[in-house]
Amino acid sequence: MNENTPYQLKLFPVLTILGWILISLALIIGLVILTPTAANYFGANSKEVRDAAEAGSVLLSQLGVLASIPLWLEPLIFLGVAFFICGIALEFSIIPSLVKQRGDVMSQAFPLIVKLGK
Amino acid sequence: MQEQKSSFPFSMVERMMPWYPGIAVMGWAFVLIAFLLALFVLSPSQASFFSDAKAVREGAGVGSAFVNANFGSHVLEAWLPQLKFFGLGLGLLAIVMALGTIAKRLRSMGMVIFSQLPEKMRPAVPPPPKRIRLFQLSALMGIMVLMIVLIVGIILAVSVVSGYWNNSIVNDLNPAQPGSTLLSQLSVISSYAFWLNPLRMIGMAFLFTAITVALTVIIGTLRMQTKLLGGLVQKAG
Repeated sequence: MNENTPYQLKLFPVLTILGWILISLALIIGLVILTPTAANYFGANSKEVRDAAEAGSVLLSQLGVLASIPLWLEPLIFLGVAFFICGIALEFSIIPSLVKQRGDVMSQAFPLIVKLGK
Repeated sequence: MQEQKSSFPFSMVERMMPWYPGIAVMGWAFVLIAFLLALFVLSPSQASFFSDAKAVREGAGVGSAFVNANFGSHVLEAWLPQLKFFGLGLGLLAIVMALGTIAKRLRSMGMVIFSQLPEKMRPAVPPPPKRIRLFQLSALMGIMVLMIVLIVGIILAVSVVSGYWNNSIVNDLNPAQPGSTLLSQLSVISSYAFWLNPLRMIGMAFLFTAITVALTVIIGTLRMQTKLLGGLVQKAG
């Protein structure tokens, strides 16, 4: 990419990569932290034990994790989606000028093509 | 000037590219079905379950209207969001296919223009960019991930979710002890959404990437044609 490359073409790959990073991060957090915590909290303890958990216990800290992390994890995923959409919008934004440039060159080349084609 | 035919399975993918209006309508129909099921089945089930006091609805036995309503809404919630995202994915796939069709038409239009020139004046048309394969594969990968997520949602709905929620809350679910089938089912029910929801977004990410790459192909084609035509004008001048 040279100096004449529009800024949109330089920026969109960064946004796409950031989108991938955030969505992959959400999957990793879901797989590594939330899934085992939920499986352990609900699968290894009866309702009676879960309800009787005292302050400072492992069960209550697991419940804290399960209640708090998803609250920011979902917006993080959508932030990733927003990065993708911004990248796509930036790419679309340069198409009108490219079509105009091509049209200008075509209007110069057309009489030439007609002449040479005869 | 003849365009070289692609090898299988890309030849099939390219033949399917112009089907994008049908794919878009299909995606829209899936989202509509999800809305209608939520409106006419999920919402009434929830309303029916919460129509009485906590002690009554949770104490209701298997086969009662309360257990059936609770069971129905949980089973539906396990696969309905996956169907909705599959519909959205088909919409994004239609966009990729439309962009692919535009890129192909731009290229063949350029070849038609250059074919009017005498052979010795004709600029060498570069081969189709490798990125075409990338966006086709990315789109296929995305829709496959969303399809797998939908299948997993349906399997969970008919197995674990239906097995767990078809019980009385007070009599069966609450007294379940560690090691019991019910508690192991609860463990799956409470945890699957934490990996399945981000996984379906990975599917969407593949589709967004396909759109991004398809746009780079269009941009690249426009720039290349401008360059070739500009070269021709310069040479003649």
